[in-house]
Amino acid sequence: MFERIARDRVATLFLVTVAVLLLVGLAAPGFLSAGTATIIWSNGLVLMLVALGIFPVILTRNIDVSGGSILGLSAVVLGLALNDGFALPLALGFALGAGICAGVVNGLLVAGLGVPSIVATLGTLGLFRGVMLIATGGEWIEELPEALKSLGAKSYGGLSIMGIITALVIVAVWWFLRSRRGRWVMVTGDNREAAHHLGLPVRRIELLAFAWAGAMYALAGITFAAQIGFVPNQAGSGIELRAIAALVLGGISLLGGVGSVGGVVIGVIFFTSIDTSLVFLKIPAYWNDLIGGAMLLGVLLIDGRLRIALEARDRAARYRRGSNTEQKSQPLEDAA
Amino acid sequence: MKRYVMRWEVLLLAILVAELLIFGMINPRFLRPSSLLFGTSDFVQVGIVAVPLTLVIIAGGIDVSFASTVGLAAIAFGIANFFGQPLPLSLLVGFATGALAGVLNATIIRLTRLQPLVVTLGSLYMFSGAATVLSGVVGANGYEGIGGFPAGFTALGYAQVMGLPMPLFVFLCFAAVLLVLLHLTRFGRLVFQIGLNENAARHSGMPVFRVQLMTYVLTGLAAALAGIMLSAYFGSARVDLGSATLLPAITAAVLGGASIYGGKGSVLGTVIATFIIGYLQQGLQMSGVPSQISSALSGALLVLVVALRHGAALLREFLPERSAQAD
Repeated sequence: MFERIARDRVATLFLVTVAVLLLVGLAAPGFLSAGTATIIWSNGLVLMLVALGIFPVILTRNIDVSGGSILGLSAVVLGLALNDGFALPLALGFALGAGICAGVVNGLLVAGLGVPSIVATLGTLGLFRGVMLIATGGEWIEELPEALKSLGAKSYGGLSIMGIITALVIVAVWWFLRSRRGRWVMVTGDNREAAHHLGLPVRRIELLAFAWAGAMYALAGITFAAQIGFVPNQAGSGIELRAIAALVLGGISLLGGVGSVGGVVIGVIFFTSIDTSLVFLKIPAYWNDLIGGAMLLGVLLIDGRLRIALEARDRAARYRRGSNTEQKSQPLEDAA
Repeated sequence: MKRYVMRWEVLLLAILVAELLIFGMINPRFLRPSSLLFGTSDFVQVGIVAVPLTLVIIAGGIDVSFASTVGLAAIAFGIANFFGQPLPLSLLVGFATGALAGVLNATIIRLTRLQPLVVTLGSLYMFSGAATVLSGVVGANGYEGIGGFPAGFTALGYAQVMGLPMPLFVFLCFAAVLLVLLHLTRFGRLVFQIGLNENAARHSGMPVFRVQLMTYVLTGLAAALAGIMLSAYFGSARVDLGSATLLPAITAAVLGGASIYGGKGSVLGTVIATFIIGYLQQGLQMSGVPSQISSALSGALLVLVVALRHGAALLREFLPERSAQAD
């Protein structure tokens, strides 16, 4: 039992999250309620969408740090379109389109030109933020219509429309990764050369992963604008690093090919729960980063040491029954 | 001869000269020696952290936590000063904080064998959080920071050495030391070897961890240096002193020729790239371009230059008889 949990990052993190929430519940009565759950869900919505966007990119062994800027860019496109009198569905379409275009730019740089993804997206992080600021002239976009704000307001069973959409996206990603084409994404990240030799369209997969990320950042931008009702200049800046931290915490390897949707969800919820708990415990907000960072490093340290210990034990066990496995693997080799 | 002309640094230098000439044509005041010299005080902190960061990247690692270390070391220095410690002791506290941050990063990376990006991302949050909490201890709020430095210290931020402004002088000296360290010593060769193939380096008995530790500690020390220098320049130590150096510093290292996969890069390239990035921002501002556009352009510059480099590498694969020795 213990070993299974130690091997499974998602389970470890789930238990840690539950333990933290229970402890906070002991310290602050009234914390453990359905109300708090919906608060955590809606507080974590933007981070969740950004993380769901970066997730496939990281699975293909790339990284995307331009998320915050694309989020801001699409939120600005949405706000400008709405304030120019476009209908809401049309404006939402523009925002999504802007996000996808930005994602495709990243994808072309990485998959087309072969620029290392961290370098390419660092560049576009500045580029898209600049484009956004040029579009707004440095002004904040305010007075967004009520119709947009209602997307972020609680309506159905404590969930907002964006909250429900996010839940659907999570299910869709889970379903996609189980499908044949979903496994292509994993293979590309696990061994790009092998995937290429197997005939997979490696470059197209990478391009699509970045385009998907752009679409998700746009959804996050829409959610952001709907939840707070205006678009500041620094909208979304720094969220990409938080999202990557949440993904890593959820067991998604930056080396590609390893990770699950469950990990994404629990990683984001863990981060958001800590922030929300601190509010309940009346700890000043300036402790957030210290506690969040220390817990991230702590989990990584414990998990890393556990994994190394388990690997060493596995190897020792394999050596002990070495002759056995050799015989077993023989027929497999013949078959191949 | 070709070996010296066909270098990335030469191309960077050409870009820098072209950039200065273009801005000079738009606004002749830009080329006045005094504005060229004293304008550097606004961006040399980027170079100070970018140069040791280059070493980290060459050795196959990456460090993003320096952006918080700048603020943390500055706050530690400010607090020591606040409690009436003499200036040398306060400086020591600041630098020790920076060095410790580097030791912590390298140790956790070694213990967990995780990618350095992941670990330093965590410490990026932790250090900035620690700095915020610490500055709360002495009752300073985030925007004013910790002030009250001796007048002799704040004057250092504006002092001149041999006609150069103090920050630029410090940067050039620091870069010169690291240039020698990376390109002319045994340690430097170890850095390159470890970046090229860490396992091979380990199996041939090289002190891999010690060398990597050194690169992270150097980055921490440089961050402390930048933090203390900025405190002198602004007259107060703030948590967010370094947050604006994160992307420009990585950009400078990469633009300067450091390969994110390790094993490649040079101090000189990073230094020139720092000036390209810094003068680009300043030149655009002096030409009346709003600062929003200048940030877009410097992002575009990075994308363009790196895309060109990779585009050229792709081309080279198609052309026979051209080995990759050019860089």
